[in-house]
Amino acid sequence: MLDFLRGFGLLTVFFLLGNLLHQHGVPIPGGVLGLLALYLALALGLVQLKWVERAAGLMLRHMVLLFVPLTVGLMDLGPVLSRQAVAILVSLLVSFLAVLLSTGLLGRWLLAEETVSAVASTGPSAPEAEK
Amino acid sequence: MISLAEIVRTPAFSIVLTVSCYAVALALHRRWRAVPPIVAACVPIIAVLLLLREPYAAYNRGGDLLTWLLGPATVALAVPMYRQGKFLRPSLPRLALIVFAGSLVGMVTAGGTAWLLGAPRSVVLSAVPKSVTTPIAIEVCRELNGIPQITIAMVILAGVLGATFGPLLLRLVGVGEDRSVGAAVGTSSHGIGTASLVRHSERQASASSWAMAAAGVFTSILAALLALLLR
Repeated sequence: MLDFLRGFGLLTVFFLLGNLLHQHGVPIPGGVLGLLALYLALALGLVQLKWVERAAGLMLRHMVLLFVPLTVGLMDLGPVLSRQAVAILVSLLVSFLAVLLSTGLLGRWLLAEETVSAVASTGPSAPEAEK
Repeated sequence: MISLAEIVRTPAFSIVLTVSCYAVALALHRRWRAVPPIVAACVPIIAVLLLLREPYAAYNRGGDLLTWLLGPATVALAVPMYRQGKFLRPSLPRLALIVFAGSLVGMVTAGGTAWLLGAPRSVVLSAVPKSVTTPIAIEVCRELNGIPQITIAMVILAGVLGATFGPLLLRLVGVGEDRSVGAAVGTSSHGIGTASLVRHSERQASASSWAMAAAGVFTSILAALLALLLR
């Protein structure tokens, strides 16, 4: 419990720090600035992974709970949604395919040569990953 | 004597209602995998509010407290990103390039398609962050003056599409290598896609969770540039 509180406290402090930077003109959302700051602190060893690991795991597992209240707001948006349903769905589908395939194909191209050497060096463990 | 209406309007009522509907939704999801928890949680809440003739704004006074927690939850993404980054170190610069390109493609194609179909500006801008994880997508949508609810609906659909068809579609175009599959699913379908990979390949899931956090960071930086252009 104490472990969780420390982790949650740290996540909140980094979020508030990010918000502060955002309010002082950095045009990136406070949460993302907090994420970058925490990443940096972990990389520099200022914060240890075990201090935040459990709280972060819990928050990420139950993130859906946190966006329920905003989603309930759809109840006021019925008219906009039904008028724009086609644009929303087509744009979603087109963009989903574009991102998935461009990222995947770029990955196949850029990560290709290394895969060959990785398969050669790891040998028997390679088929393991195919499952 | 406190009336029922007064109890209903307290923030505590909203929170208790939300948390209990979420708990029931999780139980339903555990039994029937096809039921998305977000839908199963929201439908009964909307039904209760409509039955009690309570406006959304009254419910959201308590809801706002839960929404606020999305901030620390965004910060929490640094943990999987840092942890997976250690495993992926040799390919990290190339992975970053791939995810950056994918994020840019996502923003341009989502906004562009909605715009070509004649959607109003607020809907076009709501579509822009649709590939990234919900808390970041909401923030980016707000920065762009979009409608967060539209963004959320699109984010969830993108996640479900990627979790269901992502690896299959990638195999059709000859992408089967673990890090590429992970990067593609994480960039296009964030946490929902990543969760679906966990079950069959740890290497894919690791690349995917790194990509999902990185895509969120890149998209918010690109959106800041877009906001400058729109000003």
